[in-house]
Amino acid sequence: MSKKINISPFNRVEGDVEITIEVKDGVVQNAMSRGVMFRGFEIILKGRDPMDGIVFTPRICGICGGSHGLASATALRNAWKCQMPDNAYLVCNIVLAIENLMGHIVQFYALFAPDLTNKKYASLPDYPEIVKRFYPFKGKSYLRAIQSRPSMLELMGVFAGKWPNTLVFQPGGVTNSISMSRQTKAIGLLREIQDYIEERLIGCEIDRWLGNKSLSDLEQWLGEEAHQLSDMGTYVRYAREIGLDKIGKGSGKFLSYGAFEMPGNKTLMRDGYYDNGFHPFEQEKILEYINYSFLKGYSGGVHPSKGITEPDPDKEGAYSWGKSPRYNNNVVEVGPLARMIMDKDPLIYNIFTKLGPSVFLRVFARLHEAVRLVKQIGIWLLEIDARKPFYQKPKVPAETKGAGIIEAARGALGHWISIKDARIERYQVVTPTAWNLSPKDNFDQHGVCEQAMIGTYIMDVDNPVEIGHVVRSFDPCLVCTVHTIKL
Amino acid sequence: MINLLWLQSGGCNGDTISFLNAEQPHILTALKIIDINLLWHPFLSLEIGQEVEKIFDKCISGETKIDVLIVEGAVICGPEGTGKYFLFNGRPFKDTIEKLARVSQNTLAIGTCAAFGGIVAAGANIIEAKGLQFLRKEKGGILGKDYVSGSGLPVVNVPGCPCHPDWIVETLMRIVMGKLWLEELDEFNRPKAFYKKLAHHGCPRNEFYEFKASAIEYGQQGCLFEYLGCKGTLCESDCNERMWLGRTGSCTRGGFPCIACTLPDFPDGSVPFFETRKVGEVPVTLPLDVPKAWYVGMANLAKLATPVRLKKNAVSSRRVD
Repeated sequence: MSKKINISPFNRVEGDVEITIEVKDGVVQNAMSRGVMFRGFEIILKGRDPMDGIVFTPRICGICGGSHGLASATALRNAWKCQMPDNAYLVCNIVLAIENLMGHIVQFYALFAPDLTNKKYASLPDYPEIVKRFYPFKGKSYLRAIQSRPSMLELMGVFAGKWPNTLVFQPGGVTNSISMSRQTKAIGLLREIQDYIEERLIGCEIDRWLGNKSLSDLEQWLGEEAHQLSDMGTYVRYAREIGLDKIGKGSGKFLSYGAFEMPGNKTLMRDGYYDNGFHPFEQEKILEYINYSFLKGYSGGVHPSKGITEPDPDKEGAYSWGKSPRYNNNVVEVGPLARMIMDKDPLIYNIFTKLGPSVFLRVFARLHEAVRLVKQIGIWLLEIDARKPFYQKPKVPAETKGAGIIEAARGALGHWISIKDARIERYQVVTPTAWNLSPKDNFDQHGVCEQAMIGTYIMDVDNPVEIGHVVRSFDPCLVCTVHTIKL
Repeated sequence: MINLLWLQSGGCNGDTISFLNAEQPHILTALKIIDINLLWHPFLSLEIGQEVEKIFDKCISGETKIDVLIVEGAVICGPEGTGKYFLFNGRPFKDTIEKLARVSQNTLAIGTCAAFGGIVAAGANIIEAKGLQFLRKEKGGILGKDYVSGSGLPVVNVPGCPCHPDWIVETLMRIVMGKLWLEELDEFNRPKAFYKKLAHHGCPRNEFYEFKASAIEYGQQGCLFEYLGCKGTLCESDCNERMWLGRTGSCTRGGFPCIACTLPDFPDGSVPFFETRKVGEVPVTLPLDVPKAWYVGMANLAKLATPVRLKKNAVSSRRVD
């Protein structure tokens, strides 16, 4: 006899989600992730001034609004076929990288790690130390992570003016011409961030950490006491001790749009699709299905550039406000792990090939990316040339279309816009969480987080912390799931 | 110690993120000095599922006292008043909000959505979003125009998209100190302390404004009012005096226009966001309380007196003179 467990509200994620699982003999047989809120941004945007996208879409999500603003401005830049100066690429990437860095740190300490203090693990020898570090509002490392935010926020302020909801991103560049004084201030603030990361997160210099290029390097790195005692070291040991490397596999297929656009149609981290090997990313292969969504208006798979968002709250069989995006009809995972695999990051790709995907690796890849970002922001800060422009005024056509395809903290984010008579004819957003927490598609394939839950052993159905680990390892952002979960 | 319950409704949760950005005092210091006992917060707390329902039930039955109820995000009433666009454990969340507001000692609408409907109520308002006690400028909202919390105050509106963290901290501080009275609130029930100023006050571009030396495109140093849509002279907030993100930034310091996000008719009252609509040479939307004839006279005079230095710098990406 199987038991159905409904977890609503499911907390410590961005936004509102409900998780329903069916458990038999302790093993999850079926799983549903439901987006429970509809805000209808895409409908709100219809008929408005195309520039309104830059104001409205960051307000899809309070934690990653910068990425929506950038995707929106990028969609307009591509639609208008305009250019932006090299300095603007740098500022865009710096703001996005700070947002991703802050997101990763908050996600680990405030959202993911509290589950490590769950009573299930109370008998383990390391448990008291884990509680001392990670318990919400009390743990040393938890508090230190929140205390570290001012340097990151101030660095954000230097470039973005205000955040959440900056309007610094424009189709022709950025509004903020960075002076040498601001550049100097930023370099100082970044040093404070680096000190925090080195002292607390990795217990060594960033370059030492980035010298780890394989699983065996990591094991060797762990051999030193300072490393072992760092939060990263503690996580790596404890996560494997409690078996996080054995759960939450997912579909094993990964997608990245390529992170951090550079001048000349390049990205800092490579794009691509991984399915037992690397394949080029082709945008046309994205289709969205709505068989199990509270939406109507079409039946097969539709590309987001032609997307329709029409609510149908009483639809028979539907269980989520989210659509089901698929890549070439495959269920794919997006996020830091996907980015690191596609970029063939030596450390993460090596562990991936040896151990495969899991809760452990997904979270580890996120923290590793955070370290890489600190280093990269420093490189970009020095490349800004205060004497050169940051903005180039675009010419605005009345009828056009375009896409803004970027990588947000949680993974692949796309905005598709069609403009007619200088108004928005169609605006569609496909968020990272739409990919990761999607409901089943028209072929009855579960979304990747649902797949990651199915097969998981739950020790105590009254305390299904394993589900917490799996779902939060994806860092779901439900406010982002435009139609998907909230919106 | 005050019991605080924080709910997230139809919004982006950006006010929670903004609250976590509090720096002066730092968020952890603020929690300590106000001595907050967080009953539950969806982003931060450990409790899930049924445990949350239990916390709510205890509040509604009176077993637990809610000293402060914070709601961020608009209340979603659609479709057709059913609230089905946002279900919480299978039930419309609007009903839960209403029940909890009936037993709270102080009810705060944090952010423009919870206060006035905001972004999600824009245009045709297809999801039938409302603020707690207002919809845009109109009194009523979900709780009705006569609602008062246990303290006798109406819903205290602390708008902003997002809300500045200091505004949240100070409002809580005032409640704890017993210094939030009806006469401290303006006509839209916003604390006058933050909203009886203009975003224009303290703007680093003020000299450019005085002499009508304007930026004509982004990235330039000049005033953003004449061409680029800035609403700083009519947006009621202290953003440029207080500043954001550890006093490092503000909208105009970031080079983009103020879009008046604290006003009850945001966002539709602020369009177009990025250009200044004019009749002839005169902006359609004038600075707060400034009569048109005087504005025209002053502007013309100022233009005659503009120093060359300002004219040059206004259209340059950095100070050239």
